[in-house]
Amino acid sequence: MLFPKPLAGIILILALVLTQGCIVTRGTVGEPLQDDAISAIKKGTTTMAEVISMIGAPDRIVRGNEREIFHYYYYDGKSPAMLLLILNFIRMDVKSDNLYVFFDRNGIAEEVIYGKRTGRTQFKLWPFGD
Amino acid sequence: MTNVAARFHAIRLIVGALCIFFLCAGCTVRRAIFNDAITSEQVNFVRVGQTTIRELADHIGAPDEVTESDFGFVALYYWSDTKSAALDFGAIGRLFLPYSPTMALSKTGVTPEQFQVVFDPQWTVRAYGFSRRATDEPVIWFWPF
Repeated sequence: MLFPKPLAGIILILALVLTQGCIVTRGTVGEPLQDDAISAIKKGTTTMAEVISMIGAPDRIVRGNEREIFHYYYYDGKSPAMLLLILNFIRMDVKSDNLYVFFDRNGIAEEVIYGKRTGRTQFKLWPFGD
Repeated sequence: MTNVAARFHAIRLIVGALCIFFLCAGCTVRRAIFNDAITSEQVNFVRVGQTTIRELADHIGAPDEVTESDFGFVALYYWSDTKSAALDFGAIGRLFLPYSPTMALSKTGVTPEQFQVVFDPQWTVRAYGFSRRATDEPVIWFWPF
């Protein structure tokens, strides 16, 4: 036996006491954008249909200047909270990834702009400071 | 004499702990951060008529929104830092009494901010600027008046 029974009981009670009032929440919007699918988009050759088959339909389409821009996004939020008997701390950190594929008049990708921020989302409880 | 000093030290500790306990009683501190803030130092490199959307994205990432305006396409970067604090005077009573009404003061400051860049048809920066910047508020500030 790895632990004697009283020790296991003490560890269990300690874990329950230390984690009581703790809440850990995670929320996401959309699906994470796959780096390999994004890097497969070649400027000047990849068509609109190919982009849709690789990444899926865009979350938003921006039209203007006789061109179309596909916008894909993904949001990731982490929120730990500590609700004690008299003192409560709650913090939420939300970040977004955005992918834009710019198409020319012929529906060929001419620019790809991708920004990934969700990798820096943290479960950080302390609400003070940066 | 040593006993008295030790006892005095212990009493001070207990009184101090009780003071902190009552000062914190009923306090709730909330903070919600959306994206990283973009500072003016980070966009120092932007030159009107020269910088392209590709160079902008390489420096500060992809925008959160691209929209069309009468002057051309506009890239928008969003971020916010929401701070909220509350003090419930009924919290202490709930430790000793079966019922204690909620008597709370609460304040929430939502500060959505934006960095906007207008592009010409060749995706070169035509104009850029920050939204109205809010003053930096303290995390704990529950006085609502």
